[in-house]
Amino acid sequence: MSTYRIGIFLRNLLLYITLTFFAFVMLFPFLVMVFTSLKEANDTYRFPPKLLPRAPITMAVEGFEEELPLYYVDNEGVQDKFVLIEKTVKVGEYAAANQLDTTYIRELDLVTETAGKTVIYEGEEVPLYDITVNGETIPMVRIARTALGRFADPNDPSKTLLQNLRDSEPVEKLTWHPENYKEVINLHGMDRALTNTALITILVVLGQLVTSVLGGYAFARLNFPGRDSLFVIYLGTIMIPFVVVITPLYQLMIMLGWVDRLAALIMPWIFTAYGTFLMRQFFITIPKEIEEAAILDGASRLQILWTIFLPASAPALATLSTFTFLYAWNSFFWPLVVINTGNESNRVLTLAVSVLGGRAADAPNLVLAGAAIAILPPVIIYIFGQRFFVESSTSSGVKG
Amino acid sequence: MTSNSTHSQDISPTDTKTKLTLTILSVWHIIFTVGALTGALLLWQGTTETADWLKIIFSIFLVLGAIFSVLAVFSIRQRKHRGRAISLAVNYLGFLASFFGLLHVTGFFTGIDSLGENFSKGLPYMGLAFVGYLIGSVGDRYQDNRPSIAQKFRKTAQVLGALGGILFLFAVGIIPGILSFISEFTSLPPILLLLSTIIFGVMVWLMWREPTRIAMNTRSKDQLMMEGYLFLSPNLIGFLFFFAGPLLFSLYSSFTDSDAFGNANWIGLENYQEIFNITIEPLEYIDQLAKEVINIEVYDELYRFNIFGKHYVIGAEDQLFWISLGNTIKFVLLAVPMSVIPALLLASVLNSKLPGMKVFRAIYFVPSVAAVVGVAMIWRWLYNSTVGYLNYFITGFVEFVNSTAGSQLLTDPQVGWTSDTQVALISVAIMAAWQWTGFNTVLFLAGLQNIPGVLYEAATVDGANPWQQFWNVTLPMLAPTTFFVLTTTTINAMQIFDQVFVFTRPPGGPGTSTTTIVLYLYKQGFQNFRQGYASALAWVLFLLIFGLTLAQYMRQRAGDEAI
Repeated sequence: MSTYRIGIFLRNLLLYITLTFFAFVMLFPFLVMVFTSLKEANDTYRFPPKLLPRAPITMAVEGFEEELPLYYVDNEGVQDKFVLIEKTVKVGEYAAANQLDTTYIRELDLVTETAGKTVIYEGEEVPLYDITVNGETIPMVRIARTALGRFADPNDPSKTLLQNLRDSEPVEKLTWHPENYKEVINLHGMDRALTNTALITILVVLGQLVTSVLGGYAFARLNFPGRDSLFVIYLGTIMIPFVVVITPLYQLMIMLGWVDRLAALIMPWIFTAYGTFLMRQFFITIPKEIEEAAILDGASRLQILWTIFLPASAPALATLSTFTFLYAWNSFFWPLVVINTGNESNRVLTLAVSVLGGRAADAPNLVLAGAAIAILPPVIIYIFGQRFFVESSTSSGVKG
Repeated sequence: MTSNSTHSQDISPTDTKTKLTLTILSVWHIIFTVGALTGALLLWQGTTETADWLKIIFSIFLVLGAIFSVLAVFSIRQRKHRGRAISLAVNYLGFLASFFGLLHVTGFFTGIDSLGENFSKGLPYMGLAFVGYLIGSVGDRYQDNRPSIAQKFRKTAQVLGALGGILFLFAVGIIPGILSFISEFTSLPPILLLLSTIIFGVMVWLMWREPTRIAMNTRSKDQLMMEGYLFLSPNLIGFLFFFAGPLLFSLYSSFTDSDAFGNANWIGLENYQEIFNITIEPLEYIDQLAKEVINIEVYDELYRFNIFGKHYVIGAEDQLFWISLGNTIKFVLLAVPMSVIPALLLASVLNSKLPGMKVFRAIYFVPSVAAVVGVAMIWRWLYNSTVGYLNYFITGFVEFVNSTAGSQLLTDPQVGWTSDTQVALISVAIMAAWQWTGFNTVLFLAGLQNIPGVLYEAATVDGANPWQQFWNVTLPMLAPTTFFVLTTTTINAMQIFDQVFVFTRPPGGPGTSTTTIVLYLYKQGFQNFRQGYASALAWVLFLLIFGLTLAQYMRQRAGDEAI
């Protein structure tokens, strides 16, 4: 019995590990987006990459006007935190001619040539320098030149040491730069794109609800010649890819004068076969008896639709709304075709993000802030209305 | 006219008012017939720059309207229901046409732009109206036990809603909007359209009224029919105008050299010939130049191959079409398994009734709600070859393996995810699969939950282990869902565009390694403005998709029968 239980436990553990791994895979890119969008530009290009936005710590040190950045330094074998006071100090690496392995690092400015003495080093005649080691002056050859950073103890600025700046790790704190969003919104015209997208989405959702409810009701409950064949045609067109109509639709927009206009992003999307199909499938499940009683009472069709069908079909309406919302908010191909990308006032978010990706390619923090503006509203709405999103995906036909 | 009224009196008793109504309607239809025919003639007289096919369509509508109007007059005289139906249809369509024409010439649709401009100013008031809605829905909770409180809540909600709505309209500039709308009425077309809108509207109303309905002998079945068409009309007309019409036009356009600026000549099958025109020539030796064997003024070299020791070269007139077709098929073969197999796995795990499954399901679905454009930006960054996370993880993994094995077992590949022509398409496929997996998981889960538990119980009794259960119960029972998931994913994958357009620089690159059919179509149609050719490409794609779906459907049917 207990081995059985252990087996079950191990199996469940494995399941949870698998699930958690995939959850990580699904969420990690979004975490990268959010955290990178809060970083400083120069904080984004670092290797190894760090998820959280960080900023170097700076300190005010006596005798210096500006605040100085703090670094981890190796202070005689002990790790310490010193401030950087000079970025490039030119130094030379010196060694005695007979003992090239032991090198000493000295600042170039503080070293003087040994008067009149030279030596042959690597086939060339080079001067010797006076290097003081433990109070003793030894003539040495310079075998390399480099630049180091000068660091000082913040508590005692006279105590300094030299260390390679590139290898030094700055002392950092976690920060965030929400002003990235401000910059993207103000400088890259994202504000207008956001309100345009919101307006378009609202109008498309409302319009599609109205036409789908009316059409769905007609298909479900009203008998007219040609109804069924018309319904079959509607169903068939759901399968036809949008690209098939894209060129004639574009020409229609030219004819109507809607190229570069918001109307082109709204009107064609109000009438869809899919929405009509969805509402029809729901309405057909509502019992006929209720409706017949209302007709006997003298209610008009619109009254019946308004007072009986609509209240009963809240889930279907919510499903259709979420589906349409996602479609309208995220659509890219059609806006790309019909709205000139240079037209900042009539752009939608997806277009603006695409343009931003090219324009600010070297500032991933800004690009991802733009991406977050496009992605987060649907995600937030999804978190609140999860049920309807999931239903909208399954209602697309799998129940058959 | 007198004979008309006496005649109709014989059929059903009608009061004078209704008789007058019917007379007005008949007269109107005669006027309309004359007007429509004159209009159709005038259309061909003037020197307007309207395209010929547009004139033809307008003329057809006007002539049809005239014919039906005449029919309506006769049927109205005979008090047949058909007359009412025709009259209503003609007048209703006339009403819609003039109404939308009016909105069009007065700049209503283009005015949405200024709404977009001011929309942000109106948002707070919209929020106010939403608060009103929330208060109302809170009040509904008291409906049953304390109706008076519910009443108060509803009042507040209504006031807030109305206030928010009105303030919103003012904030977004309803007054300048109305003023500019009115200022349009100085020229003739808006005035005429307004007039005809009113006339058509009044005529519809006159015919729709109950007394007229009775006089026209409309049975309840007929009324049901009228209501059916009426309810369907907004949807149907929009659907015809924005989808079915363009669809037919697209087919026509694929036989022309249309260029989006109104120039189109019928060229028959030339577009399709150009798409499919290929040639195969034998080579004398393996690296013989293509120009020695194929006419390079027509063909570009596409591919070389070797059968039975003989070398051949394939040339294609539209090399890029075949390349993009190849890329699209590669993409489908990569992205579909990558988004379907993990989805099936995850769905089977989620279907085990362990706690927390809903949370995981919710998490997996998140990528499907995100905009592809934004997702592409994120993945560009993850794929960055020097500081991206993907290469960082790979490096970490390689170092881990090497340090465990104690030798250089693996070498760090340092993949150029977006710059390597061999890899770029795979990168796009991984990104797309990541985004589609959650959606497919939810579909599979719904399918799994529909499988009756009895089947598993029976299988357990028969001693089937979980793997056998999955293979012999789950998979066959899940076949319809699998078919649906495979079909929709394949259809989506065939139409891949957003991802490559945003993700790859330049779109379709590096080289032509990620140029897919829809991207190629976009380039032809909207960069080279060969819209006729683009339409032909679209139809080829549609037929491909249709064929694939049909084939999958047949296979599934065959599979069903085998079981």
